[in-house]
Amino acid sequence: MSAVAVVLRTRRRLRGRAAVGAAILVVLVLVALLAPVLAPHDPNAIDPSRVLAGPDASHPFGSDALGRDVLSRVLFAYRVSLGVAVGSVLVAMAVGIPLGLLAGYHGGWVDSLLMRPVDLLLALPALLLALSLIAIIGPGSGVALFAIAVIYLPILARVVRGSVLGVKGEAYVIGARARGVSRTGCMLRHVLPNSLGPAVVQASVLMGFAIQIEAALSFLGLGAQPPTPSLGLMLADGYQVLQQAPWADIYPGLAIAITVLAFTLIGDGLRDHFDPRGVSR
Amino acid sequence: MSALLALQDVSVDYGPVSAVRDVSLEVSEGEIFGLVGESGCGKTTLALAVMGLLPRSAQVQGRIDFQGEDVLALPEAARRRLRGDRISMVFQDPEAALDPAFAVGEQVAETIRAHRPVSGREARRRATQLLTEVGIPAAERRYGDPPHRLSGGMQQRVVIATALANEPALLVADEPTTALDVTIQAQILALIRDLRDRHRTTVILIAHDLGVVAQLCDRAGVLYAGQLVEVAPVERIFDAPEHPYTKALLAALPTRAHGRGSLPVAGGRVPDLADPPPGCRFAPRCPVRMDACERVPALTSREAGHVTACWHVEAEAAA
Repeated sequence: MSAVAVVLRTRRRLRGRAAVGAAILVVLVLVALLAPVLAPHDPNAIDPSRVLAGPDASHPFGSDALGRDVLSRVLFAYRVSLGVAVGSVLVAMAVGIPLGLLAGYHGGWVDSLLMRPVDLLLALPALLLALSLIAIIGPGSGVALFAIAVIYLPILARVVRGSVLGVKGEAYVIGARARGVSRTGCMLRHVLPNSLGPAVVQASVLMGFAIQIEAALSFLGLGAQPPTPSLGLMLADGYQVLQQAPWADIYPGLAIAITVLAFTLIGDGLRDHFDPRGVSR
Repeated sequence: MSALLALQDVSVDYGPVSAVRDVSLEVSEGEIFGLVGESGCGKTTLALAVMGLLPRSAQVQGRIDFQGEDVLALPEAARRRLRGDRISMVFQDPEAALDPAFAVGEQVAETIRAHRPVSGREARRRATQLLTEVGIPAAERRYGDPPHRLSGGMQQRVVIATALANEPALLVADEPTTALDVTIQAQILALIRDLRDRHRTTVILIAHDLGVVAQLCDRAGVLYAGQLVEVAPVERIFDAPEHPYTKALLAALPTRAHGRGSLPVAGGRVPDLADPPPGCRFAPRCPVRMDACERVPALTSREAGHVTACWHVEAEAAA
C-alpha cells in the first residue's frame, strides 16, 4: 500500500471521528436542553421507599441514597455541568482572544502590559487558583464558571497571541496594508480570522476538561450547592454507597466520560481541519 | 516627462545591516522602470521603503518624493491613504499575498472601500469589473471563490486587480512573475504592459530575471548589495553596459553561444551587509578594481540618460 493511500485512509478515519464527536455532542446538548421533558421524575423528589433501589422499568438508572431517581438527576445535573463548561470557555474566549490578539499584533510594550498579568495567572496551579477564588467569593456553580474561565483565560490568550505572531508576518497581511487597509482593519479582518483556528481547537478540548473541573469542584463541595443537581455532587454522594448501589455513581461518571470523549473527538477533527499537515501535533 | 517618483540618497538599515545605501533615482510618469539585481541586493527593501511598509526595525534615511511630496515626512495616516490608492504593489507570490480566509472579489472590493466612500454593492460591481479587466473569465462567478480555488496565474491577476482598483499613479511590481510558470509569466507581463498603455500607470518592475526586464522595461537600474551601480535605457543596459557588475550579470545569462559548457559566473560572493566594503561594494569581486574603489563612486553620465557609478569607467572615459 502506498504512503499516499495510508494518509488518505487516516484522514478519512479522523474526519469520521469528528463526525461521531459532533453527533454525540448534538444529542448531549438536546438532552441538556430537553431535561425537563425527558426526565421521568422530579430530580429532587425524595422517596423513602426507594432508598438505594436498583434499576427497574420506571427508574432505569435506579435511585440514590435519598430515593431520588438517578436518571432524572443525571439529566438535570448534566444541564448545570454543560452550562458551566460551555459558559466558562465562552467567557475565557471573550476575554482571552482580544487580549492575545492585541498583545500579539502590537507587540512591544502593549504585549508586556497585557501578557504579564496573564502569565501570572498561568504560574498558579489551576485547581489552587479555582479554590482560592471560591474561598474569596464563596461556592456556587456561577463561581465555578468564573473560576474555570480564569483558569482558561491565559491558555487561550497565549494560544491566540502565538498564532497572531505567526499570521501578522504573512504576506497577505502586508498585502492588505499595501492596499491601504489600516492597522486596525488588518488586525480585525485579516489577522483575527486566520489566527482563530488553534484557539477553536483548544477551546473544544478545554470544554471537555471544564466538565471534569466542574465535577471536581462540586465533588469537593465547592461548585454547585445542594439541592442543585450536579454531576460532581452526585459522584460525591454516590461514592459513599458505591458498594451497595454502584448505579448512583456509574451513570453520572458515564455522562462525564461521554462528554469529554465528544469534545476530544471534535477537537481532533477541528485540528485536522485547521492543520491538515499536523504541524502543531 | 516629469519625475513622478524621485529618490534622493535613500538608505535603509536594519540595525547594523546596511540593506540599501544612498540610492538616488528618478522614475518618470508613464514609464516602466526595471530594478534588477540578485537576491538580497535590496530591491524589495527599496520597494517597501517607497510603500512605507518596512518593519519598525528598519531605519530609513534620505528623501522619497512622490508627485512632488516628500512621503517620508508624511504621518502614517497620510501614507496609508497613498497606499492602494496612488501607489500600489504587486507581490512575488500571489498565493501568499491573498488572504486564504477571504473571497478573492472581497479583497478587491476591500481595496476600493479603503479609499472610496462607496456602498458595498457599488464596490462589488467595480471589483467584478476589475476582475474582468485583468482577464478573469466569469468574474461574477469567481468573485466569491477563496484564493486556493484559483490557479497561480489567476491569483496573480486578482492581486493585480487589487493593485489597480483605485487607478494608482504608480505600480510597484515586486517580481510579479517569479512564482509563475513560463507561459503564465508572458501573459502577466503582457497584462502589465497593456495596463500601462491604457491607464498610463507608471510601473516599477523588480526582477532578478534580465529577460523579463528586456521584454517590458523602458529603463532599468542595477542594484548591487544595496548600491545603485548603473541606470540606463534598457537597450543600453544590454548593448552597452558600463559597470563591471552589469557586464558580469549579462555574461551569466544563458545563451545558445555557451552551448553545453558551464556558464560563466562572477567569482567571489556578495559582501556581508553588516560589514560592507567601504567604497564600491562590488570592488572585492571586480576584475578591474583600482585604488579609488576604496571610496564610494558617484553616478556619473557619459551618454545622455546613462549613468554609472564606477571609478574604472570614469578613468577610461577621461583617458
